[in-house]
Amino acid sequence: MNCNVAGFGWVAVDGLGAGKSGTFHGFTAGELAPVTRQDLFDRPDRRFGRMDSFSKLGLAAITFALRDAGLEEWQEKRSVGILADTFSGCLQTDCDYFNSVIPDEGVFASPQLFAYTLSNTFLGEAALRFGLTGNCQVVNCCADDGLSVIHQAIESIQWGEDERVVVGFCELSSNGALNAPGALFMVLEAADVARSSLMALTINQQGAMSCHGKSVDTVTMLVEVLAGT
Amino acid sequence: MNRSVHITDYALVTGLGCDVKTVWSRLVAGDSAIRPVEHFKTTNCLAKSAALVNDLPCQAGESRLYPILEQLLEQLDCVPQSARLITATTKGAIDLLENDCQHHGQVSAAAAVVPSSMTSWLARQLDVDDNGININAACASSTLAIARGAGLIAHGVAEVVVVCCADIVSEFVLSGFSALQALSDQPSRPFDVDRNGLTLGEGAAAVVLMSEDAAQRYHRVKHAEVCGWGAANDANHITAPARDGCGLIQTVRQTLNRAQVKADEVAAISAHGTGTVYNDMMELTAFKAIFGERPLPISSIKGALGHTLGAAGGIEVVLGIASLNDQLVPPTCGCVNPEPLGVGQISATAQPFSGDLLLSTNSGFGGVNAALLLRRGQQ
Repeated sequence: MNCNVAGFGWVAVDGLGAGKSGTFHGFTAGELAPVTRQDLFDRPDRRFGRMDSFSKLGLAAITFALRDAGLEEWQEKRSVGILADTFSGCLQTDCDYFNSVIPDEGVFASPQLFAYTLSNTFLGEAALRFGLTGNCQVVNCCADDGLSVIHQAIESIQWGEDERVVVGFCELSSNGALNAPGALFMVLEAADVARSSLMALTINQQGAMSCHGKSVDTVTMLVEVLAGT
Repeated sequence: MNRSVHITDYALVTGLGCDVKTVWSRLVAGDSAIRPVEHFKTTNCLAKSAALVNDLPCQAGESRLYPILEQLLEQLDCVPQSARLITATTKGAIDLLENDCQHHGQVSAAAAVVPSSMTSWLARQLDVDDNGININAACASSTLAIARGAGLIAHGVAEVVVVCCADIVSEFVLSGFSALQALSDQPSRPFDVDRNGLTLGEGAAAVVLMSEDAAQRYHRVKHAEVCGWGAANDANHITAPARDGCGLIQTVRQTLNRAQVKADEVAAISAHGTGTVYNDMMELTAFKAIFGERPLPISSIKGALGHTLGAAGGIEVVLGIASLNDQLVPPTCGCVNPEPLGVGQISATAQPFSGDLLLSTNSGFGGVNAALLLRRGQQ
């Protein structure tokens, strides 16, 4: 099975951006700077201001990935899926929300915060913002290599479920597959619809993954390949 | 594709009982599991009741999730060690966050609360080699988990997949839906003209999916076939469905296409039917667009079992098998005066039907829609 990486976007401790900018160097420990609307969009954006930190992080990396792939602008909704791996997900938002419940036994529970206590909410934000009507889901992978979500994305394309899938990782803490806070999303597409392939992503018959011709056994190795392009 | 996908074992735990036979018979009889919530204060919530699992052996400081899952696993036959594991939950053991709050006055992030804790626990209990994944797609989580499992088998990637799903009634979730004004102060009334919100529920379900070869090798009964599945996003709103049902229409069409089945062949629908004004109208709009004026029986179990969030789709699949076996859709509890679009199709009493194909659909926050098509198997 193979598909093309049409672009990628990232948010890390030392910056954020789109893959073809050539400024991606991987993920390091530290504290993420808050993602601002100005980082992403030229125009004021009411929705962005309402979002929780987890959603802003994920939406930023998805936005940069779509921009990198030349797919940010759209006229009609598109059958593009989004798959996101996370360990902690919106746990921080869960805490923030429940801390709004505790005083006065829920009288001032925040509906705004509650809406973001589902880890998949940011996928919905991305779907409506970019007109993506494919399968959108968060996948919490338990395997050490962290690559299950990439396998799922490639299979989705190979099996004809979606022409394109935006797939990646989103984590506010260091607990996830990136081993650092940050987000990384790639736009994968079937080889026959590829417009501007950055590199090939392949799974052989034994299930081994390679990217840009290099063997990829872990998410860390995938990040190294992307950082080397 | 490909290979057929069979459900060879299943189990469920709901407020109406902890085995399929009991739950199904009580559901068909019109019983409801909705009762006052007593395990936390509901003083300031719009709803004081939910569909709760009875008599959970839950110690102080422990989550309700794991006693429910223990009751679920007791019903399952041995699962092959090589099985892939897919779980589905929206909030897992979120009540541990509440317990943390009681001890510390405010909450802090705890690893035991993350959904993958449930997956890891289930992998150990089932003694499977696979570490598993959890799928989190709001109220369509378990439907998508079963779809993913079916895809793995259909395309020859796996021979056996066990899917387990669960969600609980917690102060966290009840207060949240209350804050969103999404709860009914009375037991929910799916598809009724006077419906005014949902009632939460808790529960769990498990299905074991096998290829034809694996079912033969392990001498398992093929209770039903998962012959179609689909998923699409509305790309419309975060917490409200698209009023024209565009995402659900796309989802059902994918599902029928995958199964190579015409809409006329579907015999009954197990709908999401939350009891909220917009969800139920969206579903009826979508079904009308796909199935036309045909008086296809439609049901929602959420007036009896509550809305079990990420577990809803799995529970509805298990009850869908019973529905196909008995050629009966269960009552839509609380639906006294159906919406005009559903008149003649939705009833507060069980409805007989004739056919082998049942469509099960779910939709949720984030604009997600998912559907499964079940074909009657061996009884």
